[in-house]
Amino acid sequence: MRLTVNNIFFSLLLSVGSAAGRTWAAEPMRPVTSAWTIEAGQVLRANTYLSPLRYNGWRAGIGLERWQAMRFNPRDWVMRLTVGANLDHTLSPARNSVMWGLDFRASWAMMWRNRIDALPGVTLGFGPEADLDLGVLYLPRNGNNPAQAEVAATCGLTAYATYVLRAGKLPILLRWQPSVPLIGAFFCPDYGELYYEIALGNRSGLVHCAWPGSYRRFKSLLTADLRFGATALRIGYRADVISSRAGGITDRVEAHSVTIGISGEWLMLNPRRQLSAETETISAFY
Amino acid sequence: MSRRIIFICLLLSGLLTSCHPMPEQLDSPSGNFEALWRVIDEHYCFFEEKDIDWREMHDRYAPMVRENMTQRQLFSVCAAMLNELRDGHTNLSAPFATSYYRGWWSDYPQNFDLRLVEQYYFNFNYQQLGDIFYGILPSNVGYMRVPSFTVGIGHGNIGYILNYFNSCAGLIIDVRDNGGGNLFYAELLASHFIPETTTVGYIMHKTGPGHNDFSKPFAIEYSPAPSGNILWGKPVVLLTNRSTFSAANFFVAVLRAMPNVTVAGATTGGGSGMPYSSELPCGWGVRMSAVSILDHEGRVTESGIEPDSGCAVGLDAVAALDGHDTMIDFAVKLITR
Repeated sequence: MRLTVNNIFFSLLLSVGSAAGRTWAAEPMRPVTSAWTIEAGQVLRANTYLSPLRYNGWRAGIGLERWQAMRFNPRDWVMRLTVGANLDHTLSPARNSVMWGLDFRASWAMMWRNRIDALPGVTLGFGPEADLDLGVLYLPRNGNNPAQAEVAATCGLTAYATYVLRAGKLPILLRWQPSVPLIGAFFCPDYGELYYEIALGNRSGLVHCAWPGSYRRFKSLLTADLRFGATALRIGYRADVISSRAGGITDRVEAHSVTIGISGEWLMLNPRRQLSAETETISAFY
Repeated sequence: MSRRIIFICLLLSGLLTSCHPMPEQLDSPSGNFEALWRVIDEHYCFFEEKDIDWREMHDRYAPMVRENMTQRQLFSVCAAMLNELRDGHTNLSAPFATSYYRGWWSDYPQNFDLRLVEQYYFNFNYQQLGDIFYGILPSNVGYMRVPSFTVGIGHGNIGYILNYFNSCAGLIIDVRDNGGGNLFYAELLASHFIPETTTVGYIMHKTGPGHNDFSKPFAIEYSPAPSGNILWGKPVVLLTNRSTFSAANFFVAVLRAMPNVTVAGATTGGGSGMPYSSELPCGWGVRMSAVSILDHEGRVTESGIEPDSGCAVGLDAVAALDGHDTMIDFAVKLITR
């Protein structure tokens, strides 16, 4: 995990106008590994508030991921921030009705990591994760119940495993990253409650406790970062399975997507601080 | 010990990642029939009020379903079963037809002739705003016909109309043949006749699939139109007929509670259940009354609202031939007596 500054792909805010600055040897540099991705795949969506049927179709999305070693213990702890959005277009089994889904998601996780001595190149990490999802399902054919808001805030566990290998001269970082929520809250109207009633002011019973009995989710991300010089090409596969039940309403999402994007490491330097030759750089991955 | 740990891990992983069950829906004649019966069984809200044994309906109609029947034949069986609910808000929509229970109005006199009003009371010379038409009758009584609550109106629009009736002794609001629409528009119009924030009704939704699984009634409160708008305090007569339905039915229920409002005409058509939509595996849409709206006294008005005491009046067909709408004439007398 030690790198010199020369190995960092990008350096931002590097300034030469700070000769009077202090040296910064005590605190290691923590480059940010970020990735922009787009994704496309297939999705199953079902929500018994809107329809008892399962809808199938395509999903398209964008995502941003940001990894960094944590300040308090950069060797052993990393944090991960992800934000993204999905658009789902699904059809009923009879193919005569369209249901749209739009979701925004954000999550933040801090993970303890450890290199496995017995498996060179393998790093494992795990830790808690906070997740926020805001979305809406829209079924235009319905009259008074055409939409369902999908909001959930959860805390759970996440983990990752990375393996660095070389294909010829090409360094490749393989990563698998599963997550499950354990506790939280999610929005769901009552069995037959229309949004008209909510608009009238009846807000009771809309927020439900999310626990494995009521809200289950399994996120899995498998990526390969192929480093071409300063940046890396990311290709991967994302699975996201959600199943919730509250107020007699069952909601289900089963999404499988291929992701592609670019990633790179970024380093933000303070121009008022001078770098020492011994300044250590601790990456989130490498 | 290790086996136990493995078992617990498997149990936990199964719990964390398995999905909640959803019943499979089969796209066959019997599968669609059962899906229709079930969605009505679990969501329809007036079984008790109408004394309907839905299980008995299943047993009566299920034997009529054959696996080799055509879509139209299946549609006829399903539509006939839905008609047993005697509900104008319950429909089955297929690509070739939409089922509709008409008995709630077809079994009653219509009591309305638009041409009669337009020709003999206004000589086709009236004001039109959206789908509302209005004018002043020779007896100096304002007349406003509201044919539906589907076309958007604003407080300003209503203000112009009420200001037009400024010098009138009273106002007739004719909601005959008003089949309803958007409750927000009904509220908007009603807010010009409500002097203060008032509980005008209650709403109850299903909390589960049982026929009696209902939430506690939640009060629906209407407030007067925002300050700066005209509030009407003079006498009002609401003219109703059997085709006054759904949002118009609730509009009548709301205004009936106001002290200066009299409901005259015929019993309304009801339709106090807010419709909920679902669908069948074959793609047909289903709509049914699923949320019950009660009046301000907590009564179900699904079967209609009767006119006030002594105000039941119909359209005399013979008088109509002479250009008289006996219901409008009755309303004018109520205001000018």
